[in-house]
Amino acid sequence: MEKPFILHMLTTAKNLSPFDVNMAMDAGWLSALPYTNVEPSEVQGLVQDAIFSRSTKNLKRTGIFIGGRDTKQAMDMLKTAKHSMVPPFEVSVFADPSGAFTTAAGMVAAVERELMTKFNTTLEGKVILALGGTGPVGQAAAVIAAQAGAHVRIIGRQLEKAQIVADLCSNEFGDGKIIVTAGADADKAEYIKTADVVFATGAAGIELLSAELIASAPVLKVAADVNAVPPAGIAGVDAFHNGVLIEGSKSGAVGIGALAIGNVKYQAQNSLLKKMLNTDKPVYLHFEHAFEVARDYLKANAG
Amino acid sequence: MEKRSILHMFDPMPHNSPFDINMAMDAGFDVLMPYSNVKLDSVYGLTQDAIFSRSPAGVKRTGIFIGGRDLGLAVDMLDACKRAMVPPFEVSVFADPSGAFTTAAALVACVDKELAIHHGKALQDCTALVFGGTGPVGIATGIIASIAGANTILVDHLSLETAEDVAKAYNRRFGSTLKGGCARTDAEKSQLIENFDIIFSAAKAGIQVLSASVLKSAKALKVAGDVNAVPPLGIEGIKRNDRGVALLTAENAQGAVGVGSLAVGNVKYQLQNEMLNMMLTTDTPLYLDFRDAFKKAREIV
Repeated sequence: MEKPFILHMLTTAKNLSPFDVNMAMDAGWLSALPYTNVEPSEVQGLVQDAIFSRSTKNLKRTGIFIGGRDTKQAMDMLKTAKHSMVPPFEVSVFADPSGAFTTAAGMVAAVERELMTKFNTTLEGKVILALGGTGPVGQAAAVIAAQAGAHVRIIGRQLEKAQIVADLCSNEFGDGKIIVTAGADADKAEYIKTADVVFATGAAGIELLSAELIASAPVLKVAADVNAVPPAGIAGVDAFHNGVLIEGSKSGAVGIGALAIGNVKYQAQNSLLKKMLNTDKPVYLHFEHAFEVARDYLKANAG
Repeated sequence: MEKRSILHMFDPMPHNSPFDINMAMDAGFDVLMPYSNVKLDSVYGLTQDAIFSRSPAGVKRTGIFIGGRDLGLAVDMLDACKRAMVPPFEVSVFADPSGAFTTAAALVACVDKELAIHHGKALQDCTALVFGGTGPVGIATGIIASIAGANTILVDHLSLETAEDVAKAYNRRFGSTLKGGCARTDAEKSQLIENFDIIFSAAKAGIQVLSASVLKSAKALKVAGDVNAVPPLGIEGIKRNDRGVALLTAENAQGAVGVGSLAVGNVKYQLQNEMLNMMLTTDTPLYLDFRDAFKKAREIV
């Protein structure tokens, strides 16, 4: 008899995200077990405990999900988990702290599609401002876009913090192969003059890009906002917009709202959770894989 | 319709063990509920909460599993569960902290079997050392071996006092006759193992306890068993799947054989699976601890 699918869900936070639990169940995991307040130092023990109780055949029906709120911590936990495997005793692991990896992937993939369909171009060489970009979604989006060839600047209220995050993106998440730069929110009027793309990934309910700044952006093509709570993070882009012209943009920029991004995010997370169920060899999934499946989803559903 | 089977998993630690969760699911429980950071004085209330929400018929589809890392506490929690039952509202309870009871039962049963096959001896004829003797698996191994009659020493790698305290505390509780020992260096280990018949290695995963050069000084060794499946393995010369294979690194101990972690693991797996299964099929509630585990492990090997 085939053994039931079990997903062990680890988070450093006090609670799991009910979003992730629903997603896991809907992707086909029969049982999702929570481990909360997990210390990164406990990951090895938990992983090795999980891998030795099933035969290698049934380990394919076992998985580990890493949540939490901190991007670096989640990536470190993913690495620790991978190194804790004792082949052939190994299972798939998927990190998606705060859903940030799949959200960022959904946003960047949606932006890329608009660049292609409306402007016949790609992310390669584009200047991108990640406004409110020091949080988990901003970080992951910056790395994904930079890996696709864009020049990304993370904008934060404190330049020093933005610089630390940018360095983390370049060196840690980008493995030193990309360069993400930083800028202060106070200087965004200057930066917007050369920006092709804007990501708004700040806290909910804060306007990061005003109508005035949009009007002053001569080459702006796409602006994407992950905030679903009014006021919108980008003036004129509402949650339902999906490639709609932004009123007042002199460059003909289009907007992508939170619900349009959310749909791609949902598909990406669902697809990665399913990939863990169906893979023959263990997989270790993070933002790069989320971007791949988000792109595939949009390509398959083009037109 | 038959009610779904539910296993309530009480754990005094911050996390339930993923190992136990996989095992419980695979043994056929439909729903697993983890309870972490459970204190001993909450067990009575939690148990009564669990037994009164289902009719006595439904109670057979309900079980309690006790995890953790502390053997004494697990047995206390098992007792607290038992006291909380109000027949006919009663459910089965199985204590297996860190899987230690089933791992230890499997280890001792495997070693016992090889002892009989290769040396025609029983545990009560033998002396035994338990390395990693103050951890959960080590302590349970020691208690089981000692109750079965082996003259057993729990060996700590840092402190003789710790080992003696642990031995005394568990002797009082379970009527075993454990002694404490300590071996910090290879020289101390070489000296210690010289005249012992049995060596159990129950130290942490990924740590080599006995190297080939230490094993050379073993002169009376008959069977050695290791539970560490993460390289480097606990005893040099024993491979993970060994089951009574000649232990050539113990070159001065005639006929010494080894039992490896996956051989023990197979028995442990079957044992834990059968014990979880017994909870699902029994007509009268069961209260299972290391004694039941050892009895069952002997049947399995």
